Parts: sequence; C-alpha cells; structure tokens
Amino acid sequence: MGNKQTIFTQAQLDAYQDCTFFTRKEILRLFDRYRDLAPQLVPLDYTDKPAVTLPYELIGSMPELKDNPFRQRIAEVFSENGDGNMTLDDFLDMFSVLSEMAPRDLKAYYAFKIYDFNNDDYICKSDLEKTVNKLTRNELTPEEVNLVCDKVIYEADVDNDGKLSLEDFQHMIIRAPDFLSTFHIRI
Amino acid sequence: IFHGFYAEEKLVGNLASMSTSERIKAIQKMPENMKKKREIRNKVLKEITEKSRPGRTHFFHCTQCLQGPALLFRRFGNSLAEYFHLLQLWHRTLKIIGAEFGTSVLSYFIFLKWLLTFNLFSFLINFSFITIPQFLAAEPNNVSFTGLELFTGAGYFQQTVLYYGFYTNATISKIKNGPSYNMQLAYIFTVGIYFAICFLILLISMAKSFCRNFINPQTYSGNASRLLCTWDFNITNEKAVKLKQKNLSTQIKEDLMEVNREVLHLSVTERLARIVIHLVSWAASLGTAVAACAGVYFLSTNNAELFVKGHENDLESQAATLVLPIVTSLLNTFIPFFYSWLGHLERFQTPGYQIYVTITRNIILKISIVGILCYYWLNVVAASQSQCWETLVGQDIYRLVLVNFIFCLLGSFFGEFLRRIIGTTVRVSWGPPEFDIGRNVLELIYAQTLTWIGILFSPLLPGIQMIAFSIVFYVKKVSLMMNCQPPRKVWRTAQMTTSFMFLLFFPSFLGVLSVVAVTVWRLKPSEECGPFRGLSSMYAAVSNWIKILEDYTASKWVVWIYYNLITSELFFFILSALVLIITYLYWQIVEGRKTMARLLRKQIIN
Repeated sequence: MGNKQTIFTQAQLDAYQDCTFFTRKEILRLFDRYRDLAPQLVPLDYTDKPAVTLPYELIGSMPELKDNPFRQRIAEVFSENGDGNMTLDDFLDMFSVLSEMAPRDLKAYYAFKIYDFNNDDYICKSDLEKTVNKLTRNELTPEEVNLVCDKVIYEADVDNDGKLSLEDFQHMIIRAPDFLSTFHIRI
Repeated sequence: IFHGFYAEEKLVGNLASMSTSERIKAIQKMPENMKKKREIRNKVLKEITEKSRPGRTHFFHCTQCLQGPALLFRRFGNSLAEYFHLLQLWHRTLKIIGAEFGTSVLSYFIFLKWLLTFNLFSFLINFSFITIPQFLAAEPNNVSFTGLELFTGAGYFQQTVLYYGFYTNATISKIKNGPSYNMQLAYIFTVGIYFAICFLILLISMAKSFCRNFINPQTYSGNASRLLCTWDFNITNEKAVKLKQKNLSTQIKEDLMEVNREVLHLSVTERLARIVIHLVSWAASLGTAVAACAGVYFLSTNNAELFVKGHENDLESQAATLVLPIVTSLLNTFIPFFYSWLGHLERFQTPGYQIYVTITRNIILKISIVGILCYYWLNVVAASQSQCWETLVGQDIYRLVLVNFIFCLLGSFFGEFLRRIIGTTVRVSWGPPEFDIGRNVLELIYAQTLTWIGILFSPLLPGIQMIAFSIVFYVKKVSLMMNCQPPRKVWRTAQMTTSFMFLLFFPSFLGVLSVVAVTVWRLKPSEECGPFRGLSSMYAAVSNWIKILEDYTASKWVVWIYYNLITSELFFFILSALVLIITYLYWQIVEGRKTMARLLRKQIIN
C-alpha cells in the first residue's frame, strides 16, 4: 500500500482509478506493458503529462492483439485521432473496455464502432462485407458474402432501414449472452 | 452523444448529486475517451467542493474532514481488493488456455476453480471448528500404519480425525471451570452453517447467471449474432485464430447450403420408425442404468457382510473393499460410451439435441448410482448392528472419491493421450481429439456430490478433494496443451455454464441436502463412537441444548425463536404461502412486460 512509485502523482492515479475499471496495481502493470513497447519513447515520469504517442505498428505487435483480425479497427477506435496511434490514456481506455468488469452496454457501444468501418454511425452492407471477409480470411466467394450480409441485415434490422444502427446492434447483443465473455482481452 | 454545453452542465449536476460509489460507476460506464472523462470528473469534483463552501463555515470544515477519511477509506478498500486479487490462482494459466482454445474450454477450468473454492472453504471451517478442538481431546492411536491405508481409508486412519467416529462427544475444556467447547453442538452447527452458506452461494450464482444469459428461444436466430457477437477476442494464438476462421467459413457455407435444401417431409411410416427407435434407445439406456444400480447394490451388500464378519485387519478383505469403488468407476466410465454410440445410432434433428440427450442420460446414470449408494448406506449400513456405521460410510466415500480421482487421471491418459497417438499415426482421418467438455464437467459434478455427502461422515474429506482437484487441474491442462485441438463447433458457452451451475444445484446439492437431512433427523447414531453417541438422533443434540437454555433467563429469546419459528409448522406454512404469492405477482409482471415489448417492437417497424 505504500506510495513507492514515482511515475504518477496520487491525484493522477485516483483519476485513472475513477475513469477505468482497473485498480492501482493493474494501472501500473499496464503502464509497464505500454512502456515495454518502446522504452526509448516513453518516459518514466508522467507527472507532467508528457504528450507521448506510440505508432500503430507497435500497438499492433502486442501478443494480445497481433493475431486479432480486427486489431487495426480496435486501435483506430480507441486512438484520439482515429489513426491508430495511441497515447497512454487511449491504451488504458482500450483495455478497460475490453476487461471483464466493463458492462455490456459499454462493450456493445465500442464493438459497434469497431465494426463500423466507414465511421458513419451505421453498420451498412459494405461494413458487414468487410467484417465477414476479415472473419473468414477471404475464403468465401463474393456471392456467399452477399447472401450472408443480406441474412444478417434481415435478421437484425429492427427499424427496417437497410442498415444496422446502434440500437439494432444492442438489441442483437442482448440475445447473445456469450458476447460478454468473448469481447474480452485478458491482460 | 454529448451535444452542446447544456447537456454537459446537466450531466455534471446529476453526477455531483450522486453518492461517491454511484458517481464512480457512472463515470466508468461513460462511452467517452479518457480525456473527456477526466474533464467531467474534475468538473464534478470542483462542483462538489463549491457546493459545500458558501455560508456555513462549520459545515464546510465538516465535509472537508469527511472527505479526507472517505478518500483514505476508498484507497484502503482498493488496495485490499488488489491483495485479494493476488489470491486469484492460475490467472496466467487461464489466460493461456483461453488464448489457444477459446472461451468454451476455458469455462471448464473456471468451473473447476469455482468448485475448488467450495472445498477450500469447507476444509477451513471444518478444520478450525471441529478438528483443532478434537486435537486437544484426542485419544492415542494404537493401530499400525501400513501403506494400504492410503487406498482403503481403513486401518490406521480409522482412529484419526479423518472420520466421524474419532470425535468425542464430551464438552472439551482444558482448564477446570474455564471456557468449555461443546463438540456436539460444534459439529452439527458447523456442518449446518456450511451447507446453508453453500445453498445461498449456489442459488445466487445460478440466479445471476440465468438472469444474464437467458435467451428467449422464440426470437433467437443464429446468424447475425454468430457473425457479429461471437468472435472470440480471447484467442491470441496464430494457429488457433486461423483454425477458428476456417471453422467459421465452413459453418457459414454449411448454413447457406442448408437454406437451399428443402425441408424433409417424412412419411408416416418413417416418422413412426423414428419414434420407435427413440423409445428403444431410451429403454436401453434406462435399462443399463437400472442394471448398473442393481450391480452396485449387490456388490455393496457383499461388502457389508465382509465388515460384519469382523475380519477388519485381514489384508485380503481390506483389498476386497476396493472392489466396489473400482466397479462403480468402471460403470461410470464405460456406460457413457455406450450412450454416445446410441446417440449416433438414432438420427436426431440437430447435433445440439444429440448432445443434450446424451448428457441427460449420463446424468440419470450418475445420479441413480449415487442414489442407490445412499439408500444402501442409510438403510442397510445404518440399521446394521456394526460398531461404528458412520465411520464405515465415511470410509466407503473416501474410497469412492480416491478411485474416482485415479480413474479421472487414467481417463485423461487413455482418452486424450492415446487417442492423439492413434489419431495422428494409425488413423490420421480422426485427427487429434477435442476436449470433451460435457463428460469432464459431469465427472466434476459427480466428484463434488460425493464430497458433499461425505462431509458429515468424514470432516476432512474436502481437504482431500481439494488436493485431488488441484492435481486434476494441472493434469488436464497439460493434457489439453499436448493432445487436443480447439473445438470445431461453436458451443453456446454462456448457456452451458448456466446449465452446469443448475446441474450442480438441482440434482446434486439438493440431493445431498436431503441425504444429510435424513441422516440428521431420522437415523440413530451409533452407540459407541462419534460426537452423538447415545442420542436418539443427531438433531437431539440441538433440542437438548434448547431445553438447557430454557433455564437461563438471558437466553429466553433464543428458546422463543426455536419453538415458535423453527419448529412450528404454522410459520413455514405462512412463509410458503407468501413466497408463492410473490412468485405469482412477479410472473404476471413478466408477462405484462413481454406483451409491452411486443407492441413496442411493432411500433418501431411501422
């Protein structure tokens, strides 16, 4: 319980504990993971809030993310500018939402943003096609992809506008209880 | 989501008026990035300190000095939670298993860990409240120790704290006229309170899991959620990811083909033939279960004769006591293969249905074997005139637990290791085996049922089971990594986990409670050994204690509660009527909400 660390001020740690689902120890451990990606870029002293951003290539090479087909979208969604380069804040945010303590609605919101490739607040057919191709490693023919996307929209689109809004997506999530355990990265 | 300055002001005002923990939860749940959340948090904190500043300086000092300790208290609570987190065993192992095999296989190991905590808790309270006082009043053990005791549980172990028979019925006190410890009450209350706590924990976990994972079967359709909601982000192994992607594309192709295939219209004779096949296989499976029970009963009555004859120290007859557990475990291992083969013979509509039917048959088999053993113990052993029937039952259970553990390890060896060798060298078409989650979970539930039954007769049995479960964890993990491949079909993990908890609660735990209730209330404890010797039933210890309490005026309320609430039938009648009324009201509310949801959905579409 002693204040042996000099990386953050106590106020910063309190703020992190209030804004994420992590405890003090986990935040420090995550900081170590972040720093391990690029020790020469990340300073050991965050008390003066340095503006350090790690490029996407380093984030995407983490063992937890490097084989995930959606790693680029995950990094883009959680990064500040949407380009995949993450500060420590973005990094903590990302793993907080993907941890097991995050509630279902929060996860559904971010999952929706991840699958929304063109960032128009709707999952339209082209977004679904990209998702299917990433999930099956491009092994399906274009006709099969088309059929699958049509079926998904037919089943999940409640307000009948031909694309999935956030509410449609959340409605679908409620009927998929596995979502809470699969949309989860253990770190 | 946050448009405009006004909305933010309102949000800050709302957050400032909440209590601290609610506020923290609300901030954590906000779907904003960290910078925004920190801004809002700082604004809220500023507003809180501003609200308490104007005017009353006394009040200001008070809230300031309340905030300081409140913050310290929260930090203390956080660090306590961290140290509790350190006790989370096997975090890294679970991460690796989830990474390579996915969430469904991981659920087996999490279930195993959960059962381990039950046993740990039972062992700790039994050891502290029953065994340690017994050490102070122990009699010397004159029997010699031979190695066979580890398997049979008899011999040297009979005169140790392992079994009920060794415990004294006296009131232990080291100092004359000092504080005394009533072993009878301690025994019955420790076991009773443990079961009550287990009941609450199981009920609450099951209810929470059911609430979170319940799917309305009418509106569930697989495709959309399979695509968007079931990609397992846990899997971080490159080979496993590629395999999962391949499986998903195969499944999608199969589904698309099924849609194009026409629905089979079966003629009347074909349908009749199917029904007859189903009936015959159900008859066969129930028949095998009944035959297995009869065999077990016959063997156990044989066992009883061995003990009544009194050749307890004969090596041969001691080894012969192992026959019953070995035969039981053999039946439990090989009959499920017969059931799987039956399941393949009958052609079910969907493979999921086949799995459910096979699991149901396995449960019926295991529960009936445990049932027949309990019947034998409670009706034959307890009524026989042998010296210390509770210790005999405890020994039987010890042997069953031990042999079950050995068979579990052997099953892992043959079922996974040898099967992999065969699948990769001799018959390559089979491939490496998949981890059979259903069979393994049923084995765990069976082992836990035996342990729970044995707590009354052998208080330290949970400790032994704890060690057994830990070894099983490591063996299964090593076997999984070395021999198995990730599962091909997507298991509905959440539903399966709920069903496992339900199976643990309903046939297993409630069955154990009824066995324990019959033992405590109806059976006469043996005359010469154990804490309840000489009483008419184990429960008589409690009623005698209440009679003693009647003489003290300070504890009249305890006596009143006992006579008017716990032993009065009217109280329980009123309680049951209340529970039924409340259940009926909640059911009507749920029906009303369902109708409402249907109407609202129609409105959205139009």
